[in-house]
Amino acid sequence: MPEKTYLQAISDGLRQEMRRDPRVFVLGEDVGVYGGAFKVTLGFQEEFGPWRVIDMPLSETAIVAGATGAALMGMRPVAEMQFADFVSCAWDHLVTVAAKQRYRAGTPIPIVLRLPSGGGFSGGPFHSQNPESSFAHIPGLKVVCPSTPEDAKGLLVSAIEDPNPVLFFEHKHLYRRIKGDVPDDRYTTPFGEARIHRAGEDVTVITWGAMVYTADAAAAKLEGDDVSVEIVDLRTLIPWDRETVLDSVRKCSKVLVLHEDTRTGGFGAEIAATIAEEVFEHLDAPVKRVAAPDCPVPFSPPLEKAFIPQVDDVAAALRELAAY
Amino acid sequence: MATRTQTEVVMPQMGVSVSEGTVIKWLKQVGDHVALDEPLLEISTDKVDTEVPSPGEGIVSQILVEEGATVDVGTILALITPEGAIGATPESEPVAPVTEASPPTTPESVPAPRAAPEPQPPRVGPQPEAGDNGKTFVSPVVARIAAEHGVDPGRVPGTGAGGRVTKKDILAFIASDESMKATEPARPEAHVEEPAAPVVPEPQPAAPAPAPTPEPVAAVAPPPEAPKAPVSPQPVAADRLTDVPLIAGESVEPMTAMRRGVMEHMRRSLDTSAHVTSAIEVDMSKVVAARERVKAEYQTTYGVNPTYLSFIALATVETLRDYPWVNAEIRGESIVTRQFVNLGIAVALADGKGLIVPVIKHAEDLNLLGMARQIADIAERARTKKLLPDDVQGGTFTITNPGGFGTFHGTPIISQPQVGILGTYALVKRPWVVQDELGNDVIAIRPIMNITLTYDHRLVDGAYSGQFLRDLRERLESWED
Amino acid sequence: MAVREAEPVGSLQEVKDAGLDREDLLGIYRNMLTARAVEERGHILYKQGKIPGSFYTGRGNEATSVGVASAMAPNDVGTPLQRDIGVHITRGLEPWRVISQYMGRSDGPTKGRDGNIHLGDSSLGTYAMVSHLPAMLPVAVGMALAFRIREEKRVAVAWCGEGASARGDAHEGMNFAGVRRLPVVFVIDNNQWAYSTPSYLEFAVEHLADRAAAYGFEGVVVDGTDVLAVYREAKWAIEKAREGGGPTLIESVTLRMEGHAVHDDAFYVPKEMFEEWAKRDPIERFRWWLRDNASLSDEEEDEITSSVKRTTNEAVERAEESPFPDPSTLLEGVFATPEELDTPHHK
Repeated sequence: MPEKTYLQAISDGLRQEMRRDPRVFVLGEDVGVYGGAFKVTLGFQEEFGPWRVIDMPLSETAIVAGATGAALMGMRPVAEMQFADFVSCAWDHLVTVAAKQRYRAGTPIPIVLRLPSGGGFSGGPFHSQNPESSFAHIPGLKVVCPSTPEDAKGLLVSAIEDPNPVLFFEHKHLYRRIKGDVPDDRYTTPFGEARIHRAGEDVTVITWGAMVYTADAAAAKLEGDDVSVEIVDLRTLIPWDRETVLDSVRKCSKVLVLHEDTRTGGFGAEIAATIAEEVFEHLDAPVKRVAAPDCPVPFSPPLEKAFIPQVDDVAAALRELAAY
Repeated sequence: MATRTQTEVVMPQMGVSVSEGTVIKWLKQVGDHVALDEPLLEISTDKVDTEVPSPGEGIVSQILVEEGATVDVGTILALITPEGAIGATPESEPVAPVTEASPPTTPESVPAPRAAPEPQPPRVGPQPEAGDNGKTFVSPVVARIAAEHGVDPGRVPGTGAGGRVTKKDILAFIASDESMKATEPARPEAHVEEPAAPVVPEPQPAAPAPAPTPEPVAAVAPPPEAPKAPVSPQPVAADRLTDVPLIAGESVEPMTAMRRGVMEHMRRSLDTSAHVTSAIEVDMSKVVAARERVKAEYQTTYGVNPTYLSFIALATVETLRDYPWVNAEIRGESIVTRQFVNLGIAVALADGKGLIVPVIKHAEDLNLLGMARQIADIAERARTKKLLPDDVQGGTFTITNPGGFGTFHGTPIISQPQVGILGTYALVKRPWVVQDELGNDVIAIRPIMNITLTYDHRLVDGAYSGQFLRDLRERLESWED
Repeated sequence: MAVREAEPVGSLQEVKDAGLDREDLLGIYRNMLTARAVEERGHILYKQGKIPGSFYTGRGNEATSVGVASAMAPNDVGTPLQRDIGVHITRGLEPWRVISQYMGRSDGPTKGRDGNIHLGDSSLGTYAMVSHLPAMLPVAVGMALAFRIREEKRVAVAWCGEGASARGDAHEGMNFAGVRRLPVVFVIDNNQWAYSTPSYLEFAVEHLADRAAAYGFEGVVVDGTDVLAVYREAKWAIEKAREGGGPTLIESVTLRMEGHAVHDDAFYVPKEMFEEWAKRDPIERFRWWLRDNASLSDEEEDEITSSVKRTTNEAVERAEESPFPDPSTLLEGVFATPEELDTPHHK
């Protein structure tokens, strides 16, 4: 099985779908000639032509609304926001038109928004965010956050197949750092199914995206303390796999919810509340959350390090839970 | 909606934020004919004035809302009977319009909101404090497992923070229990049922920094729904802990968690403090008179009964200001005094279930009305099990009232880590020597109450306590409004 | 380039040159009457408390809406706005379903999920508006993008009010359309009042059509009460787009003859304006033109008028029989299922 980076997996998945289905097309800023700011669509315009890999003006609303309009006419657009942070320019369209269209007007909107998200490289406040929770809150939108190359490809293909608007958060810090086995053939990864990244018994970590790797490194540290840590990679937030999470809590009775997005109102709050509601009688400790603090993502490396949950932060939280 | 016999004319909603409208003018009167869509009346709303076209054709049979009246959107304004169906009885009742003219009804002597202590969200999962309390906190999963297996978590050795019982601990205990069961004579199945709610954990007294966290007299929050398993008395062939077989006529039951707490605290208090009790008799006639004067007003205006305890509590708090050591605490070889009084009031729970001492924080801020209210409130909440962990912590002095049943004297036990506890007893009419207007001794009938101060002689000496009681008596006997 | 102002239409011959025969003209007349009748009836029903929420009419805009819609081909698509009931009627949406929508009944196009003029029927090529105007304008541009990608000879028509044109969506949509010469026609319903805000507080140029040049395409101003002039301009612009000529901006000028909504009595509009524009009522204008130029007879006129009335009455009756949506269906349809895309349209 070939090994690919997270970025290559996304790129391959997208290319395969474009070859397979002429309705699939890409639109975004700098996606054509330049190959995309992160080179995900490198070589695409040469292969598919300028009307299937469209260099858009600096107009997030025109990009996303344009995708909606094309989707209403039977296309399968995959729109790219150059950075996930810029999706706020199209927020109105997403929540007003795309999210509500199927419900109130009966017409599905099969669009995918690819959103390079996350920080860790001094991107500063406007190139590092994880704006997943505000969209998770709007009924009608799906939110997807792969962490492995294999999942990234499979989830992207599922996103393209899905008849609903899908926000596909690709963590850009994983693009080139993470490699994994990725099948060459076409496959889909279902939404709403979490993956047990690491099996354990004493404490479980519910997380997604780049934090899966942070949790992993923290869990390795706790092996020395004879604490067995389970890690559940949600993979998709809307819909999310409640049963796997709740089963994991039933098993371990101590749970840490971890995300890179800021704490207040982050999606972890929804997970924590659900755990408290559904499996209260299985808890042997309070439900803990580790997340970024409530401030914009800072630029300078020591500040950013204090902002993004680090391996040691997670390890400390796990130790606390284990000792409770 | 129109029925076969009549059409209803309703107040329309002229805009999404509009909730009512006013009838300005009826363009048709009862008995007039009106055509479909013909203007029937004029209305005014916040947004716009407009005419209402008739929703039906026929004769106006009833006008239910008069000109000038303001009604909610959707209110039926009038009824129209199609021609040929005259005489059909209207089905709907006239609606009483909400007119601007009618004054809003004033609430009858609503008791002013009580200055209730701030409710703290119960800390279901607090970090157990280091110390001997850790064992009493039971997490939800441990409670559930305990209930399912009929195990008393208090018997399980705990390895969690503060010595609490963790899930692993209880599972291990049950596993070893299972293996021991094999060698036991068969026991009747312990009563196991799904707990309605997990055990409410014991409140953790907020440790005032260094002192080992002591507990108030009763040691527990509103009596928890103790795991049912150990409660119901079951005849047991052998009690594993004591191994003393029962004889005919004896039965055994385990203690409740509350009783265990009381047991432990009482013993510890006697072992800690040097208990001495002084008593004084107080002529309560001025208090009785004052109470008579304010009782009616307090009841009707505030819904509060000014008990004798309120008066005594008020006088006690004032007196404590002059005798800070009675309101103090011994820590090691230091004495901690306070500028505030957190007054504990002992409340007996029904059916001999135990005693609980809720605390009125900053009692020195209260006047008589405030004191009466607070006492009534905490007593009520104690009896209805609505106290929160914060309500039974932090007391600096306690008043107990064992005289409710007629006893005239007692020697209460101090609530650690306090150094004093006041006991009040039955108010008894006695013949008493008083001075008449000429200064001669005469006998009068006076309501007399014996009051005791039990104090910790490690800190408080007899003279100090005697002066305290003297001053307290002075306040009570010279009570003015 | 200076913006062109459209000539009014004169003779029947001109109209024939534009591709309309007498039947078509009577059809246009009927559609205008139906649009007005449905809204007048809705207006009354609203005041009778039978229609919840708010109620908007496009009184005075019948020529713009019907005129443009009549120039669209069957497989063209459009995103009309709240003054454009005439578009829905012309495209074939039955009046009883419109009234069902007003009343929040299950047989309305949105099944009670949305109200008043937020309706559309994708099988008729119309897509329901949203309140955040003009959010559907860049969506229409996206539709045109699909046509361009697939090289289909289809056109999207995007409606926009003169007030709505102040918002960024309009700029982004038009700019993108101009850059890529997409097959989209922008119709600005300039009825001179955005709620209580007059045009001079919404834009600083004399004509909104002036902006077309900024986006790289042509603009034209037309008298929006002249249905045939509107038709002619729309037809020209739509066919131009169809043949690859890129977008056009048609600014159609009317006066909004009623308030922003029925709950607004438009006290801020000078009475003189209402009086003046009432004389230019689009339906009356066309009626006289038909009498003068197309020999519209009394009998024909009566037949059309009474048939419209009948249709409207039947529409109300039928709508009143349509059931309210069942609350147990509240959560259905938040997300689409894959089967819903399994239509020829989506292949």
